[in-house]
Amino acid sequence: MSGPGTAGAVDAPAAAGQAPPPTRKPRGTGRRRHRASLGARLRRDWPLLAMTAPAAALLLVFHYLPTLGNVIAFQDYNPFVGDDPVEAFLYSEWIGFGNFEALFADPLFWDAVRNTLTITAFQLVFFFPLPILLAILLNSLVSGRVRGFVQSVVYLPHFFSWVLVVTFFVQMLGGAGLLAQEMREAGMQPWNIMTNPDTFIVLVTAESVWKDIGWGAIVFLAALAAIDPNLYEAAAADGAGRWRRMWHITLPGLRPVIVLLLIMRLGDALSVGFEQFILQREAVGRDAAEVLDTFVYYQAIATQQWGLGAAAGLFKAVVGLILILAANKLAHRLGEQGVYSKS
Amino acid sequence: MKPSLPGVSTDRRTLLRLAGLGAAATMGGATLAGCSKEAGSKGSATQADAVRAVLPNHKPAEVLKPDIPGEGPIPDGYLSYPKDLVDAVTEQPGKGGAAIRTMSPWWGPTPPTLGSNSYLAAINTKLGVEINPSLQDGTTFADKLNAMLGARDVPDLLMAPNWEVDKVARFSDAVKALFEDLTDHLKGDAAAKYPYLAALPTGSWEYSVWGGRLAAVPYPTDGPFAWALFHRKDLFDKAGLAAPTSPEELYELAKKATDPAKGVWAFGTVFDMVQQFYGCQQTWRKKPGGGLEHKFENPAYKAALEFTAKLFKEGLVHPDTVASKGADEKQLFKAGKILMFQDGLGAWQGLQGEQSKVLASFNMQPLPVFGAAGAQPVIWGSEKPIFFTFVKKGLGADRVDEILRVLNWCAAPFGSREFELREYGVEGKHFTRAADGSPIPTELGRKELGGQYNFCRVAVKVKSGDTPDYVQQYLDYLKKNVALLEKDLFAGIKLELPANWSKIIQPTDDKIRDILRGRRPVSDLDQVTKEFMASGGEEGRAFHEKALADNGR
Repeated sequence: MSGPGTAGAVDAPAAAGQAPPPTRKPRGTGRRRHRASLGARLRRDWPLLAMTAPAAALLLVFHYLPTLGNVIAFQDYNPFVGDDPVEAFLYSEWIGFGNFEALFADPLFWDAVRNTLTITAFQLVFFFPLPILLAILLNSLVSGRVRGFVQSVVYLPHFFSWVLVVTFFVQMLGGAGLLAQEMREAGMQPWNIMTNPDTFIVLVTAESVWKDIGWGAIVFLAALAAIDPNLYEAAAADGAGRWRRMWHITLPGLRPVIVLLLIMRLGDALSVGFEQFILQREAVGRDAAEVLDTFVYYQAIATQQWGLGAAAGLFKAVVGLILILAANKLAHRLGEQGVYSKS
Repeated sequence: MKPSLPGVSTDRRTLLRLAGLGAAATMGGATLAGCSKEAGSKGSATQADAVRAVLPNHKPAEVLKPDIPGEGPIPDGYLSYPKDLVDAVTEQPGKGGAAIRTMSPWWGPTPPTLGSNSYLAAINTKLGVEINPSLQDGTTFADKLNAMLGARDVPDLLMAPNWEVDKVARFSDAVKALFEDLTDHLKGDAAAKYPYLAALPTGSWEYSVWGGRLAAVPYPTDGPFAWALFHRKDLFDKAGLAAPTSPEELYELAKKATDPAKGVWAFGTVFDMVQQFYGCQQTWRKKPGGGLEHKFENPAYKAALEFTAKLFKEGLVHPDTVASKGADEKQLFKAGKILMFQDGLGAWQGLQGEQSKVLASFNMQPLPVFGAAGAQPVIWGSEKPIFFTFVKKGLGADRVDEILRVLNWCAAPFGSREFELREYGVEGKHFTRAADGSPIPTELGRKELGGQYNFCRVAVKVKSGDTPDYVQQYLDYLKKNVALLEKDLFAGIKLELPANWSKIIQPTDDKIRDILRGRRPVSDLDQVTKEFMASGGEEGRAFHEKALADNGR
């Protein structure tokens, strides 16, 4: 069964995987050199093929095969008809677009979509740039030991589960937490941080930043390492200061990676996380904390309306695909390489 | 072409365009309007007569005379531990078949698994067949259960809590497709082959029927009450606080007891108990003029809501309960950070036994039940079994027989060696004996025992060394309040609720929670009720009324 989250995620890496030219290059050179026979190429390339096989098999089994399960979006799917799961697909009643009708007619669904998009937009502005800043900061540290230490410390929270992260925030900033107790001792009225629906979006973004800023910086650090140091030396020799070097060398060097990640993030615009929101839903209420994934959980998974859940997943995937295509096109217009390009 | 829903097609198209999918709507519009059908089950109810026809004949199996005989839904109590135990099962139940894989919910740290757990080894040797249990976190059990049922991949024995089973849509279909029909093995006198299963109360078997067939072995309740409001009697006494006799007194007491500077708040979760104090029904109640009244329509519910919202507003509820789903209230209660919280009565003995080791004076008690001004309190509950144990379909009659014999062994009554081994483990290893012979769990016992064999039982209450007063107090509380138990209107009728009803529960809970936490005013309840009734509530009412009428109630 393909979870509602997977469909969108499949498209992005798959598209990215096909993107780089190497697959095309040998073909071009082969044509010039009189294309070798299939047998000869197999003999030549089999170690490479063998190395790709497991990844391809995983992709097939865990991404492409479950994608077929999306047919239940058009069914009143009952997993218990027939003698086995395949027959359940075949014998469930086909109801056309009934699930989509129910979904699009549900005001709760649109509430969830709106919340999700708001949070995505907010995090694009207030979360997305932070790993870039961190990477630049780390890169400018001279001492390798200090950099290694800071890097480990900021990576670590990425491996914590959301339960742990939320508990940590409650213990620190909650009404019975460290901060509140300190404030009470100082004779102040503690702030309401964990249960305020109005500032919930800031809270979840802060939690995400704490958890994932270090992890997100890895890619940018790699991109920074790829910038030719000669450029900096030449610019310095020409009298460029710190800020000019950053503006004219560092940021342009990072730009392709930034654009690539931005496009991928847009493709995921309708996913902002699940556990983080389900854990804090009671604290701030549905109006603030309902996102698309929690909506699907409560209205489709918990009530076994599998068809409805698949319909919501398809919706997410289609919107994600459209956003990726549009953003990619825009990137091309602006002269960037984007996620992929037609030859 | 299937008929479409009346008057919806234009709306759909508008919405689709709004979503920026204009093209899709234009292309698919005709299809959308003409060729769709509503999804979801309409629900079903099995007649009480059909249920009665497949039940096992009840035959009590008493090994030991109880000190406090139970009555009705109240279990037997034993105040001393027997010196001489008997062998209840003489023939080894297992026939050396393949290992039986099981899955059960468990609320606590996960015990070691097969191969590194001496408790499992001891019982498996006795059984003559290997049981390989998988314990899953009870609070997230529904996720596992749904995925498992959806994938049609179930273990040989699946133990599921009644409240999770109730939530599964089309459970009858699932039962038919995945679980063995036990009717021919257990119906009527056939049950005599498994004497301790035949001794399970008929009231609990009644709930184990789906689609007119017996499909599960019940794990009967040891008390029909759904909730109790526990309080730290030791801390109450120390602070000179007397048990309240009205909601007003409860509120005054909470104000006095709450001291954020010391990290102490009066309450954890309490809303369900407050509703009972105010005399509100759990869901439905018969109206004097006929028909059913939902609790939202009962003024008592509004009063309870108002009262509880006030507790939240004035900061009398622990912030962890307010801030996060699944705050560990037991932990807060043990640490004295909250003085009162609601839980099932099943939480009592374990918590008391565990914590009295750490703090000798620790004393948790259910708060005596009281009513609001002019109203009689009620107690929610029923004889519904706590768990159902299902056998995987298609294992063959011999294997099913082997599994039922294992279950029969697990149901051996108090006073037998089997009961002691299952409940307490091996003497000297998992428990030691107090001076009066009653077992006291050891550290290893607490670590290795996790209800791995609690598939079914005849409920009894037994005095244990670490909770000497518990049995008397527990049975006293039941007896004192059993008259307040609101009768389950649907006892013995198997209900499968309509999809529209299941779908409306969570959004409505969200709205009620908004009111409780002060995000919406209490006066919004009327609006919430209206929305609830319009989008599934009335359908649910009609469904329940019909089920009652069909059974002549």
